[in-house]
Amino acid sequence: MADDAGRRPGGHIGQPHVRIDGRAKVTGQARYPADEPTTNPAWAYLVISAIARGRIRGMQLEAARAVPGVLDILNHANVGQEVKSPMGPDGKPTTTTLESDRVWHDGQIVAVVVADSFEAAREAAYKVVVDYEAETPSATFDSPGVQAEALKTDATHSYPLKGDAAAAFAAAPVKLDARYETPTQHHNPLELFTTTCVWDGPKLTIYEPTQSMWGLKAAVARQLGLDLVNVRTVSRFAGGGFGGKGAPTSRTAWIAVAARRVKRPVKLVPTRDQGFTIATYRAETQHHIQLGAERSGRLLALSHEGWEISSRPSSYNVSGTTTTARMYACPNIATKVSVVHADRNTPGFMRAPPDTPYMFPLECAMDELAHELGIDPIELRRINDTQTDPVDGKPYSSRSLMKCFDAAAAKFGWARRNPQPGSMRDGDWLVGYGCATSCYPSNIGPATARLSLTPQGKAAIQLAGHEIGTGAYTLMAIVVADRLGLAVEDVQVTMGDSDLPPVPGAGGSNNAASTTNVAAKACEEIRHKLALAAVQAGAGIFAGADPAGLKLADRALVGPGGRREPLATAVSRISSGAIEVHVENVPQGLAPDAAAALYQGKMSMSRGAERKDVTAFAFGAQFVEVRVHRRTCEIRAPRAVSAFAAGTIVNPLAAHSQYQGGAIWGISSALHEATEIDRRVARYVNDNIADYLIPVNADIGEMDVIFVPEEDHRVNPLGIKGIGEIGIVGMNAAVANAVFHATGRRIRKLPIRIEDLL
Amino acid sequence: MELTLNINGRDHRLSLDPRTTLLDALRDHIGLTGSKKGCDQGQCGACTVHLEGRRVLACLTLAATVQGRPVTTVEGLAHGEALHPMQAAFITHDAFQCGYCTPGQLMSAVACVHEGHARNDDAIREYMSGNLCRCGAYPKIVAAIRDAAPQMAPKTGRV
Amino acid sequence: MRPFRYEHATDRAQALQLATTPTAAAAAAHVAAPVQYLAGGTTLIDLMKIDVMRPEVLVDINALAGQHGEIRADDAGLRLGALVRMADAAAHPAVLRDYPAIAQSLQLAASPQLRNMASLGGNVLQRTRCNYFRDVTYAACNKRSPGSGCAAMEGVNRRLAVLGVSDRCIANYPGDFANALAALGAAVDVEGPKGRRVMAFEDLHRLPGETPHVETNLAPGELITGFSVPAGPWTRRSLYLKIRDRQSYEFALASAAVALDLDGGVVREARVGLGGLSAKPWRSHEAEAALRGKPLTEASAQAAAEAAFAKAVVHGETRFKPELGRRTLVRALLQCAAMEI
Ligand SMILES: Cc1cc2nc3c(=O)[nH]c(=O)nc-3n(C[C@H](O)[C@H](O)[C@H](O)COP(=O)(O)OP(=O)(O)OC[C@H]3O[C@@H](n4cnc5c(N)ncnc54)[C@H](O)[C@@H]3O)c2cc1C
Ligand code: FES
Ligand code: FES
Repeated sequence: MADDAGRRPGGHIGQPHVRIDGRAKVTGQARYPADEPTTNPAWAYLVISAIARGRIRGMQLEAARAVPGVLDILNHANVGQEVKSPMGPDGKPTTTTLESDRVWHDGQIVAVVVADSFEAAREAAYKVVVDYEAETPSATFDSPGVQAEALKTDATHSYPLKGDAAAAFAAAPVKLDARYETPTQHHNPLELFTTTCVWDGPKLTIYEPTQSMWGLKAAVARQLGLDLVNVRTVSRFAGGGFGGKGAPTSRTAWIAVAARRVKRPVKLVPTRDQGFTIATYRAETQHHIQLGAERSGRLLALSHEGWEISSRPSSYNVSGTTTTARMYACPNIATKVSVVHADRNTPGFMRAPPDTPYMFPLECAMDELAHELGIDPIELRRINDTQTDPVDGKPYSSRSLMKCFDAAAAKFGWARRNPQPGSMRDGDWLVGYGCATSCYPSNIGPATARLSLTPQGKAAIQLAGHEIGTGAYTLMAIVVADRLGLAVEDVQVTMGDSDLPPVPGAGGSNNAASTTNVAAKACEEIRHKLALAAVQAGAGIFAGADPAGLKLADRALVGPGGRREPLATAVSRISSGAIEVHVENVPQGLAPDAAAALYQGKMSMSRGAERKDVTAFAFGAQFVEVRVHRRTCEIRAPRAVSAFAAGTIVNPLAAHSQYQGGAIWGISSALHEATEIDRRVARYVNDNIADYLIPVNADIGEMDVIFVPEEDHRVNPLGIKGIGEIGIVGMNAAVANAVFHATGRRIRKLPIRIEDLL
Repeated sequence: MELTLNINGRDHRLSLDPRTTLLDALRDHIGLTGSKKGCDQGQCGACTVHLEGRRVLACLTLAATVQGRPVTTVEGLAHGEALHPMQAAFITHDAFQCGYCTPGQLMSAVACVHEGHARNDDAIREYMSGNLCRCGAYPKIVAAIRDAAPQMAPKTGRV
Repeated sequence: MRPFRYEHATDRAQALQLATTPTAAAAAAHVAAPVQYLAGGTTLIDLMKIDVMRPEVLVDINALAGQHGEIRADDAGLRLGALVRMADAAAHPAVLRDYPAIAQSLQLAASPQLRNMASLGGNVLQRTRCNYFRDVTYAACNKRSPGSGCAAMEGVNRRLAVLGVSDRCIANYPGDFANALAALGAAVDVEGPKGRRVMAFEDLHRLPGETPHVETNLAPGELITGFSVPAGPWTRRSLYLKIRDRQSYEFALASAAVALDLDGGVVREARVGLGGLSAKPWRSHEAEAALRGKPLTEASAQAAAEAAFAKAVVHGETRFKPELGRRTLVRALLQCAAMEI
């Protein structure tokens, strides 16, 4: 499992290590925000709107107020002015809640009931009667009243154009022209979207699971008009994120206001169904793909047009054409994306936000083209593989796509595949094999950290990092141990608290790259201090040596020829206790003040697709076997193989889990997940975790993961590309392609279900 | 109402609203926050505990109905510092990511072995299907159970 | 959840007494009675949390397991006490051997935890999972508020029924075990303020008709004490086939409980139950009649399936369900005929 290419001299990076927080997680001691002890909390329960568009005429609160134990009911009439409106995931205006009588979407927070007990708050919430002035809402694509808005290139998205795709398509000897759809999906992390707010004089502490400690802190401070120093966010563990806890949501400020009003800590544990509308989701998308090719399979034209749903006020979009335009060598490229505004809540980041919905159509289309041409789907990708970005000719920092295909194909047994659709059977089950390309841009942000080292060889690193399941605590311990020459157990990691030095939000798979690079920099600073002092000390064994030649290993400062000075001596030379450094790291290509901006809650990101020097993506290939019952058409996916090349792998054990979990997400996305909308009322209907299907244990069989070794010296100093999201990206199309192979039915709309195949 | 709950071998005297579920009693009234709330509607398994040695969902169990019946939660699995073999196997196999489903998975896993449903991987998969894991740790959960099962003492009344 | 009084009944007499009040007796239906029995609570507590059910008194009947918690199999058939847990019935050797359709209908239902909690009595009284019924902010639900309409007819209704529906309600009965009971011609024992009675299981549930809010023929306060399944030459050759998107922990999109008494390849007697897509636990006498006396072949199975769904009524997303139901039944019959017993 170990990735040799990723190994570094210290010996820990690249070695599998069990999670240092594993014990806390298996004993029930890991504290998720709602588990934090609070003294005498009052309980909040949300009332959410039952219409999707209109105004609140009034509320009848008498019955609710009469419930014993009710302390307060927040609504637009009594607290509307106390909070500035929130910003959406893109930092721009979004839907509001109690600020006014306006209802933007179904399930919008319209009141917050606060009571002595959870039971009383819930009972009272059901007794709140809201009088609405309802208007007919527009639910989604093709609903009357939606508004389409064509997008233009901005700071985060571009719409590549090259050559003349329309003419090239028209003239191409082989054409593929098809439309695809992906559904609304909700993150449904297993943890609910809880918030607990505690005031201590002017200081507010917020316990809330978040993927952006400092982002949440800054957002709430702005909304409540507080000094940044007076807001603290705590999220030592988050019970899954997947992007859903990336952007601040409306609820937090209201719980803070509630706590101020009732002069007690207030705790909110919203219901599962409320999570569908008080946080974000992956919007449904539509796509039109045109591929023109030579008979040899070489691409001549690629056109990808996408449509995405958003709320009325927000133009949040993912615009994955930034990615799809860069997958294959092609002389003529056209891309375009429109946002379609409807009466819905604002969507947001969800695992591989642009790539999952946009790679699905491209990778299905490639499979269709391969079938049309009679070329093996892997070979079609090989024919169009490239080492330079087809959009602007930049080199890839590294691109090991075909190595991934070859490794995965061998392990999967692709050679056993009879290309004829419907030709493979096992008893009553039709068997299909499918594959697709996966990819994810390699992003990195600025980061800060505090690191200390004692003479006894104990290190402590502190940063406002996020453990959402990626193994972030362990990642830090490994890098620090590696660089300071310690055992992983010697490193104490403190994260999940905005009182610690800021790092970017855990999103866009930047976390590993951003935090390991700042940790490595901090370690280097300590090494440098120790080395400098050692060479300057008159009496030491390294007096007069070149400080650059001294390394930290096995609890010692080690020089040329293996001469060693114990760590205790080296550290004591500088300080009677521990030495401590506070480090900021600004990756190449970002503004010099990018780290300083973190302290204002502002995050910038070097994006793999839009760097000046190189185009940086991780690549992978995903293979899956599906089985379709010949009579009743249940679809099962008992076996999958995914191979990824993502630069340096710090902890292959946790990385394996991330990849595997991602691949399971892909199967889920292709066969299970969809939020169903009642179009008449623009309302999510299956808003619970029994009807919003995700796989259960019995749905998942063998899920192989292959680490394709890759060394990338250009992507960032440690060569880390990020692995949290790539696992899902190719699997959607791989499943659809396998269903086609099994049945001969090409389903271009996800999820694929029994009724599509009857 | 006044009642006494026996949790992990200890009695807790509580004064509760009759509507209080066992899950909320554990988390909010006793301070045992290991058991998790993932849905509050019997749909996810995160709240799984053992009631008289059988796995049940604490979110659909009224606290009032478990008076005098011993409850074991994830906090009661280890013996002091010594982890239960299932806990140790979950760590070794990296059978979790965010860890939120883990307390429920562990309680189900231990029960799954005691019930005799861990004889092969397919049985484990089926009998662990009442515990959703959104992170997708399923294959590793299966591996951990396969490994831990032979190390577990035959059921003696206590887990 | 509305406040309620919690009562713990130590035996049947006390349970009946606690549940027999004048207001309870006046309730329009069993499910609307202000006193509800609490068994496993997996339906009742769930529906109370989301304000769909609002009983004022809960009578905990779990202590009645001593009186009504037995599984007994003899020449006459199978007796199942109402407080037997689903998991225990599913694992009982006699049930597994002689009534595999019953064992499987329980085994394939819900999850291990829920099966440990849920009682057989509560199980047959579980209520539809129709989301328009379960969300009280939809005004239109004839089952929840009589006369208000049905939001599901033109809504998201993939999981709902095509058999036995009316123009007032298309909710499906979601359970599994009850379809096996219906197929095998079981009877249900009921105790009430007025004494004991035995009902054919097929008569326990009512079709929605004009009154979808009246789901059963139980009077308020009546207590189910057990079920009896008559022995028959077909019970050993029986199975329950459940079709769903997920492999486990999901309600049926379609299911079939079938039992066959074969003479060589010819059907002497057949029992057919259908689930997932019917308004109540469903026995298809039409399918049984179509099979009787015929050799069990693909063609006769298909003919039975046609007969079973001849009166299916579809709405929007349920359009695929008659076809799925037919295929499910054909598959179940062929699989059942091939069973080695
Ligand atoms: C997530 C989830 C998934 C599920 N999946 C399935 C599935 O796949 N298949 C399936 O079949 N079921 C499934 N179920 C439903 C489950 O099986 C039922 O909730 C359970 O069987 C009900 O039994 P109980 O003892 O818990 O009933 P309770 O909730 O205690 O009672 C239900 C109702 O019956 C009444 N009642 C109970 N016992 C008696 C009695 N003896 N006499 C008269 N009235 C009585 C109660 O007053 C109440 O109104 C699922 C449930 C959940 C929550
Ligand atoms: S919280 Fe109990 S099953 Fe989800
Ligand atoms: S580990 Fe995150 S839900 Fe299972």
